[in-house]
Amino acid sequence: MLLEINGLTKYFGGLAAVRDFDMHIDEGELLGLIGPNGAGKTTIFNLTTGIYGPTKGKIAFDGKDIVGKKSHEIARLGIGRTFQLNPLFGNFTVLQNVSTSFHLHPRSSLLDIYFNTANYRRNEAYISEQSLEILKLVGLDKVKDELAKNLPHGYQKMLGIARALAVKPKLLLLDEPIAGMNPSEIDFTLTAIRKMQQQGITILLVEHNMKILDLCERVVVIDFGQKIAEGSPKDVRENKEVIRAYFGGERVA
Amino acid sequence: MNRRLSTRGRRELTKPAVYAGLVVIVALLPLFFGSPYIQHMLILTFIYIIAAVSFRTIVISGQFPLAHAAFMGIGAYLAAMASKWLGLSPWITIPLSALVTAGIGMLIGYPFSRLRALYYAMGSLFFGIGVIQIIYAGGSWTGGYSGLTGIPALLPGTISKIPYYYFFLGLALVSIIALYRIEFSRIGTNLKAIAQSHVVASSVGINESGYRILAVGVGCFFVGLAGAGYTHYNMVLSCSSFNFMATLWLVMYVLIGGINSFAGPIIGTIILIIIPEFFRDLKMFSPFVTAAILGIVVYLMPQGLVSLPQMVRSRLTERRNTKKVSHAS
Ligand SMILES: Nc1ncnc2c1ncn2[C@@H]1O[C@H](COP(=O)(O)OP(=O)(O)OP(=O)(O)O)[C@@H](O)[C@H]1O
Ligand SMILES: [Mg+2]
Repeated sequence: MLLEINGLTKYFGGLAAVRDFDMHIDEGELLGLIGPNGAGKTTIFNLTTGIYGPTKGKIAFDGKDIVGKKSHEIARLGIGRTFQLNPLFGNFTVLQNVSTSFHLHPRSSLLDIYFNTANYRRNEAYISEQSLEILKLVGLDKVKDELAKNLPHGYQKMLGIARALAVKPKLLLLDEPIAGMNPSEIDFTLTAIRKMQQQGITILLVEHNMKILDLCERVVVIDFGQKIAEGSPKDVRENKEVIRAYFGGERVA
Repeated sequence: MNRRLSTRGRRELTKPAVYAGLVVIVALLPLFFGSPYIQHMLILTFIYIIAAVSFRTIVISGQFPLAHAAFMGIGAYLAAMASKWLGLSPWITIPLSALVTAGIGMLIGYPFSRLRALYYAMGSLFFGIGVIQIIYAGGSWTGGYSGLTGIPALLPGTISKIPYYYFFLGLALVSIIALYRIEFSRIGTNLKAIAQSHVVASSVGINESGYRILAVGVGCFFVGLAGAGYTHYNMVLSCSSFNFMATLWLVMYVLIGGINSFAGPIIGTIILIIIPEFFRDLKMFSPFVTAAILGIVVYLMPQGLVSLPQMVRSRLTERRNTKKVSHAS
């Protein structure tokens, strides 16, 4: 088990955004986490990546307890993520966004950096090469010198994924990667996600769009902070609770 | 497109030559300006360039401290007291005070690294005011309200200002190069990344508070160096040189020169120390003059004075192009 969440609870004031939530992800898996607006999906991401601490509950990554760790420490352990509203380093170029995100692998010491040692230059050369490779994977190599803030929305979304890949994650958390994309961008993104999985990255995909379901082997459904269903896409689609949560009784298309 | 690339390439090659030329010109200035007063103003310019450039190093990490002159004061008073009361040589007190100032900055920076924007500015502002209060309260140790006199000189036995001129030119160059290397390495990139989005920066493993504290430490080291150097040149210290107003002047140097560019604070310091010299009879109006300059600069050149050449160039090509168009029609 790569990630194991047990009894996770998070209160914002009196509101329980996540309540007694259990979930696990196996190595190499592509797991879907779906649920209607405000269900608590993003909150689970933020708890897992140390943006804030849980009110209660356990989160273990690779067998290690990660509750209480800071975001950058969790990134170091091998969890990469994107953000729903997709903030970027807007005044950096596309390439700089990715190369800056190669903060960890390889990592140069402050002294190496400051004195521009052979080791640092070797690392930077490697990083430029790897950054270009990632940009090719997400189809942004042609716009590598554009400022990130000038990119169209779909490209910015892909840049968010590219940046998360630079962390060389064992586990990649994607928060609504296809939201706001046009159909051809969606196809491209789904293909890219599949490729990442083939390269051995475990992926947790958040969507409240049920269309993405078929990409996943297993899906967890959350509503009002609680897990209401879990299973194959087909099972989940036919689950009464899920149908009620989404459509108030109608069948899921 | 091709042509633009080649001119850019040529510019990259000529850059070091231009900088070297500028340094030579500055080094030759005392030959043309024999007046000790002018030499004194140029020495102060070097000192404040170090302060302004080091201020910007903190700013690029997304923090806007309003205590930079207070840290200059910490460096200045530490050096003065260490040499006057402990008998240490200025050659020791200058680097030592810079290090201690950096240490104090980092200690203060640690709790501050959690504050943002206005809270950070206000917190640091009151810290700066507190520093001045402590110096006032220091009695005979710090000289209190009347200030400290009889501080050992860095270069005893020279009446001429010229040796000091070259010492501070050298100190400014070393500081500028050191800070330039930080800004244009991965360290500077990380600082700028944190400023743009600390959440994203943390998510890729950049230790946000660590880097913010580092920026404060580096900025305080160099402003402490400037303060300590000033001490052993001026040999007299007064608390009011490091008060909130002095911090605001540093902010103005950076804003007018251009906060988004490394050269900005250098240009801003030169302009703002030299222009008021032409209006010395109107000294009481200098805050108004400064405000007016800021207004004009921001209106004409939002990127600060550094963008002046670029603005002129684009205006010229614009005019040339409109001429071409009118010829064609
Ligand atoms: N920082 C916060 N402070 C207070 N309340 C919050 C905070 N973050 C989320 N919430 C609340 O917690 C609940 C769950 O929000 P969350 O963003 O996790 O939902 P989501 O499933 O990601 O929804 P969406 O599909 O709209 O992105 C919502 O009611 C939200 O208003
Ligand atoms: Mg969400």
